[in-house]
Amino acid sequence: MAADSLDVLRLPVVPVEPRPRFADALLRQIAAAEAGGADPAAVRADPAGLRDNPTVRYFVSDLDTAVAFYRGRLGFEEELVSAPGFAMLYRGGLRLLLSVPGVAGAGAPLPDGSLPSAGGWNRITLQVTDIAGTVEALRTAGVRVRADVSTGFAVRQALIEDPSGNLVELIEPAAGYHERT
Amino acid sequence: MSTVSVRYIVDDVDAAIAFYRDRLGFSELMHPDPAFAMLTQGDLRLVLVAPVPAGHPGGGSRPMPDGTQQRPGGWNRFMLEVPDLAAAAGKLRAAGVGFRNDIVTGIGAKQVMIEDPSGNPVELYESIRPEARLNR
Repeated sequence: MAADSLDVLRLPVVPVEPRPRFADALLRQIAAAEAGGADPAAVRADPAGLRDNPTVRYFVSDLDTAVAFYRGRLGFEEELVSAPGFAMLYRGGLRLLLSVPGVAGAGAPLPDGSLPSAGGWNRITLQVTDIAGTVEALRTAGVRVRADVSTGFAVRQALIEDPSGNLVELIEPAAGYHERT
Repeated sequence: MSTVSVRYIVDDVDAAIAFYRDRLGFSELMHPDPAFAMLTQGDLRLVLVAPVPAGHPGGGSRPMPDGTQQRPGGWNRFMLEVPDLAAAAGKLRAAGVGFRNDIVTGIGAKQVMIEDPSGNPVELYESIRPEARLNR
């Protein structure tokens, strides 16, 4: 048996090569930033800075369906997909991990046997410029809307569901609302 | 600048603020209403809201149109990277923080799940492969 350090750790080896789609997206972002047209924070050109990227983990029942949803409907970029249980996506500064319950790693059962599952009320919040139009377009595309557009303190907001029933909140800041920090 | 926003439902906003501030190093940005607070750590903005009645001006934690109340819990969570997971977990445990599991070794990271006072999970992780730190 090869004396490989990974063998010692008994870690499974998984493919982690970035997908060509991701490489293309990154090149587009860098080009846009160099042209002065993009938010520098959205460009992940500095590997050292990536560690600070806010990261969120969602549980999904089907990996491919979830990846297609977040890419196709919400503009996430795919960093890697390691079937059947794990994917890593980006949108701006957000790193979104998708894990499938029952698959080793984050999907593994807890010591008491309970299994992670999709759902719950905690969620990521994505800012959009036209919430009414966005929600309508998503609804037309067959996306489930849990709560239609409503008005809060300084934002209008809506709740949509991914195919596994996880919530994603969309917000549109009210006129005159100033982003804090 | 906060570029990423996450909303957590909590039973008690003040208790949650104390937890995220004192245990996990968040800063309080605003707490203008008993049912609402905004915290920040690095590029993450954490919005804490307690369930409110349908007529409440704060819209994020109202019941759904069918009357369903929002509640804490679930499994979806944000994650915080720490350089030494065992040390961080030991410190939090000594401070009385609840854990859902013990440290597990995944493919790219060691990880453990703690709970805030309302039972919401937060995942702490320590990368063990360069890929988990993203990008080469």
